[in-house]
Amino acid sequence: MNRRVRDFRRLLTGLAYLLPNIAGFCAFTLVPLALSFAMAFTNWDILRHNRFRQEPLHWAGLENFARLLADPQFWRDLGNTLFFTLGLPFAIAGSLGAALLLTRVSRRRTALGPALVVATLVLVASAAVLLAGGLAQRGVLVLGGTMAAAVLVAGVVTGGTIYRTLFYLPHFTAGVATFVLWKKLYNPHTGPFNTALAPVLDGLSAVVRGAPGFFTYGVPVLCGAAALAAALWQGRRLRRRWADGEAGSAAIVTGTLTLGGPLGLFLHWQGQGGWVAGGAGAAVVAGLGGWILRQPRCWGPRRAADTGLGAELSLALAGVPLLLLLAGGLLLGPALPALAATGLEPPNWLGDYAWAKPALMLMALWAAIGSNSMILYLAGLSNIPPELYEAADMDGASAMQRFWHITWPQLAPITFFIAVMGVINGLQGGFEMARTMTQGGPAGSTTTLSYFIFTQGFETGRLGYASAIAWVLFGLVLVFSLLNFRFGNRDVND
Amino acid sequence: MKPSAPSSDPTARPARGLGLHALLTGLSLAMVAPFAWMVLASLKTLPEASDPAWLPQAAQWGNYPEVFRVIPFLRFAANSLVVAGWVTLLQVFTSALAAFSFSRLDWPGRDRVFFLYLGTMMLPGIVMLIPNYEIMVRFGLMDSFLGLVLPSAFSAFGTFLLRQFMLGLPRALDEAAEMDGAGKWQIFWDVILPLSRPGLVTLAIFTFMGNYHSFFWPFVMMKTVDNYTLPVGLLFFDSEHGQATHLLMAAVTMSVVPLILIFVVLQRQLIRGIQIGAVKG
Repeated sequence: MNRRVRDFRRLLTGLAYLLPNIAGFCAFTLVPLALSFAMAFTNWDILRHNRFRQEPLHWAGLENFARLLADPQFWRDLGNTLFFTLGLPFAIAGSLGAALLLTRVSRRRTALGPALVVATLVLVASAAVLLAGGLAQRGVLVLGGTMAAAVLVAGVVTGGTIYRTLFYLPHFTAGVATFVLWKKLYNPHTGPFNTALAPVLDGLSAVVRGAPGFFTYGVPVLCGAAALAAALWQGRRLRRRWADGEAGSAAIVTGTLTLGGPLGLFLHWQGQGGWVAGGAGAAVVAGLGGWILRQPRCWGPRRAADTGLGAELSLALAGVPLLLLLAGGLLLGPALPALAATGLEPPNWLGDYAWAKPALMLMALWAAIGSNSMILYLAGLSNIPPELYEAADMDGASAMQRFWHITWPQLAPITFFIAVMGVINGLQGGFEMARTMTQGGPAGSTTTLSYFIFTQGFETGRLGYASAIAWVLFGLVLVFSLLNFRFGNRDVND
Repeated sequence: MKPSAPSSDPTARPARGLGLHALLTGLSLAMVAPFAWMVLASLKTLPEASDPAWLPQAAQWGNYPEVFRVIPFLRFAANSLVVAGWVTLLQVFTSALAAFSFSRLDWPGRDRVFFLYLGTMMLPGIVMLIPNYEIMVRFGLMDSFLGLVLPSAFSAFGTFLLRQFMLGLPRALDEAAEMDGAGKWQIFWDVILPLSRPGLVTLAIFTFMGNYHSFFWPFVMMKTVDNYTLPVGLLFFDSEHGQATHLLMAAVTMSVVPLILIFVVLQRQLIRGIQIGAVKG
């Protein structure tokens, strides 16, 4: 009895300290959550149900959800949202690459002398340009040269810390301010992207005009052949793994979808209809889900032969950029001579249906390379036991072998974390970019689900419908959250 | 290049290390180039702003005071600072209290409650957005700073971060303090809180930055121009005077440069925080 009283008093003390947090949680999370759930089943429309006009609110049952499934805009925006997640492999590769370079530079002490010599040379060259040309036109070279020399010297002196700082800056400052900045950078007429691209493209069109045969037939044939070879290789590889008992049916499906998914999204990018996008989206989700489900941990005791994570994820990550490149070549190759005949124009980045998405993804990549992922990879790299590398050296492993057999598998839990968090954030994201830079356009090509919810809820005022979309999005996010929670990575998976 | 065998003789092939430095310098400059363009464009005249040359003929420092004349920039910045400051203060305080309860007090069901609470981090904010908006309308908190601050004053992430930090403090501290007759509150206030300072600072930076950048909620909440926070104000500037590239870039520079300075000063603590934060899996 005495014990019970003491327990109860302890409980009260414990809860007392939680009180402010729990109160806020109830008021601004729990109650809204319940409210949102209820709203999703009503026909709540701000035009008909507001302070001045209160028509009775109807329970709409599943009407909102049925309407959602039939709404081509929803499928288009789901496709857009998933397309944006294709930036993830690029971001992961960039973060890992940066972390590898930074680790290497911090481990290797560079003698100060040569760096100072190089820096001095750069400064002298800059000054020479300045003297020769007058400040106004060439001044930017001087500026760039001086900055480069300063960064180089600082890098050598600080053992690479300055690079990490500079890499991280875009991520740290990312927000409406940098979006507004990039909107100016992307300006089709006056932005630095296109003023820099114009001469390059002029040169390229001259080359294309000079050698039409190669571009008309060679590039697409090469790309097509490479894509075919990749597909065949993947098919053979999957069959062999199946035969050897290294992979279950889930792995086969996953492997197929990592090839098919990005291609489907590419078609969506080209504007080839909603059902393709829907199918492709489902394929990617199923592919990623399948990949995670086939982790040994997922099904109880670990199967010795199932050494999936490193191989499958690396394939998916490497495969997406490659496939996009090949598909681009395949489609662009035949069209190039006709385009070049009139002179290649730099893209109208944010104003062009097809270019708007890649433009936003490029900006996101800029902010994502030096992000928290890079910091996590840096920590992960410093935690890899050096004995592993020493043993590999003893066996005469090449740099590639060391990476694929030691570094990559050792980093697998971090990659898993980054990938899952990236998908979760990616599914919810895109609102700020769309609102600031494109208003979701042109023709809805940059409208993500979160922007769709905003337009439905706050612009047209269909709060019930917007809540229903939010809950569907929640469902998608929940799947990935649960996977992360369940198979979260406290040790090496491979 | 062969990867890093920690080279025993640093001076043996200095040129190779230098190549690496040169590569990283080039990449760093590419990352910073947009910022360089931003600063240079902010010093141009309007006709120069649509000129491909990066450098202005003569630096127009007058663009900066001009920004204050065109939009209430200082007002926006002050709003942002006040909102982010209050959110940070409240969130760090409520999170520290909760973290203390979850890490230093023993009560039945503690860990189960903690994991349940942690699980709410999965909830996408957008689901709560519409009902929260309705709640603000009902309680007349629209267009008010209270409505902006309150929903962000509580955080499962902050609680988690500080709990991890407090778990790392030795248990003997509490026992010694209890022996000296200190109550729970004294242990919290006089022992645990001062020792958790690095964790508190980390959380404070995260929270402050997150709210300084936050856009969606202030964007739907604030109706009066004078109440805009900086991100909303910048968007307003862009939609009203977007053609004035030079002024826009001056405004953007003024909102980005303080961040750069903050980051350079506090990066060590931030990086540690990121690493603590990601251990959760």
